[in-house]
Amino acid sequence: MTAPAAAYGRPARVLLLIALRIRLEVLEWSGTWWFLFTLVIQAVLGPLIGMFVWSAVYPADSSIATYYVALLLVTVMTESFEQFTFSEKIYDGTISHDLLRPQPVVITTIGTNIAIRIWLTVMGIPIAVLAAFAFGVSLTWAAALSALPVFVLGATLSFCWIYTLSLTAFWTERVHSIVGFGWTLNSLLGGTIAPLAFLPGPLQDIARVLPFYGMLGLPADVAAGRVHGLPPVLTGLAYQAAWIAVLVTSAVLLWRAGIRRYTVVGA
Amino acid sequence: MRLLRLFGAGFSRSAQAGLAFRINLLFDIVLSIIGLFATLATVFIVYARTDSLAGWTETETYVLIGTFQLLSSLKNTFIDPNLSWFPENGIRQGKLDTFLLQPAPTLYLASLARSNPLALVQFALGVAVIAVGISHHGQLPTPGAFLAWTMTLVAALTVTWAMGVLLACLAFWAPRLQLDVFYGSAWELARYPTDIYRRPLRLVLTYLFPLTLIATIPTNTLLNGPRLLVLAPTVAGAAFTCLLAITCWRLGLRRYTGATS
Repeated sequence: MTAPAAAYGRPARVLLLIALRIRLEVLEWSGTWWFLFTLVIQAVLGPLIGMFVWSAVYPADSSIATYYVALLLVTVMTESFEQFTFSEKIYDGTISHDLLRPQPVVITTIGTNIAIRIWLTVMGIPIAVLAAFAFGVSLTWAAALSALPVFVLGATLSFCWIYTLSLTAFWTERVHSIVGFGWTLNSLLGGTIAPLAFLPGPLQDIARVLPFYGMLGLPADVAAGRVHGLPPVLTGLAYQAAWIAVLVTSAVLLWRAGIRRYTVVGA
Repeated sequence: MRLLRLFGAGFSRSAQAGLAFRINLLFDIVLSIIGLFATLATVFIVYARTDSLAGWTETETYVLIGTFQLLSSLKNTFIDPNLSWFPENGIRQGKLDTFLLQPAPTLYLASLARSNPLALVQFALGVAVIAVGISHHGQLPTPGAFLAWTMTLVAALTVTWAMGVLLACLAFWAPRLQLDVFYGSAWELARYPTDIYRRPLRLVLTYLFPLTLIATIPTNTLLNGPRLLVLAPTVAGAAFTCLLAITCWRLGLRRYTGATS
């Protein structure tokens, strides 16, 4: 433990370690701007296609483009790649290095996640501005700020979801397919292929309860000013908090079970 | 003929390797079905709110999605296993050196020698979706339309391969340029009728980066019958892109100096 870290309590120490990891990872990822740009392009494609499709269906409705520009921003700011940054370490055995450090392994994963998100946000904002300009969209600061609580919980939920799926790497080598399946659910029920309000009745009710809408659609809806009144936001926050609790518990249980069966060859 | 035999042998070897992992095969089948279901659900959701998407009816869009699925399957089976990450693997790590030493055309070895037969599962699903779409369309395509559709599919596959090779060729001049990821992302734009995109983008997708050819033109040909004004430029464009890719590859090889010792 570093001397400054030892001076703090446990939560403060964890936060300090995460902050240090974020700083380190931001610097490390700065050398791979081309790769990061490819990640941004992949992330923005779904919202852009959705925007083109629904703008073709409702050419006169400007709120659709506003929603999709907000969704584009939420998507790049909450992308998670733990199937690469975490699961690959299980496959190649390098997670052993993290296990030997006097800190929880997840700290490295969280630090990497936030660092990548910072870079994707920096690169994604110009694309969002361009899309907003092309479709004549103007997001208001008030609406964007009111989306902050649901955005923070959505970003946490998104990480928890992908991290939980990535933990299956302890049992299977098809983690990328599993995460791909999770991504499909997210696109379908999270608000990417269609805003939640456009889903057929029963599907809309199911999607509202499941965690995917809380990851993407809810923050985008609030930022776009499509949610009116406090009660729907509070209900959304409650669902987000409940799903975070479920996923964190699942992740802890999966980690404990997985690390027991983890073996690695080599020094 | 020799190339065909080589191709057959490589495909057979890849199929045997793929089938050895049956759980993975089952996994891929299930995921392909889920992916296709998600796409069809999208169409269902869109057409629950409208009768026409940029002039396309629901059944026409199902045929388009099936056609897109066919081409995606062929791309995933024969092109992606070879050309994805070519600048990294082929040029920067020097894998191309191995191809240059082998007694077969380098372009074939670099762009078509390996395959992923399991991805053909999507091909069967695509055929099923097209069949369902046509059965709901109410009018069976004529033999001429079917023949022209096959021609446009071959042209689309040729252009897909040629575009992949052209992007790979850029690595001979700029080894750090990894554009195939963008190609893979842009490919998704062909999943819907290109008529939904606004004019500057639609022109780019038609003439500069011909994704219209992937699904929109073949589907139009199948459902509305062949039109010489569409078929002739499609075939000529495919032949030109193919020649361009071969020429660029040869020019690139002249520049290549090897990365291994």
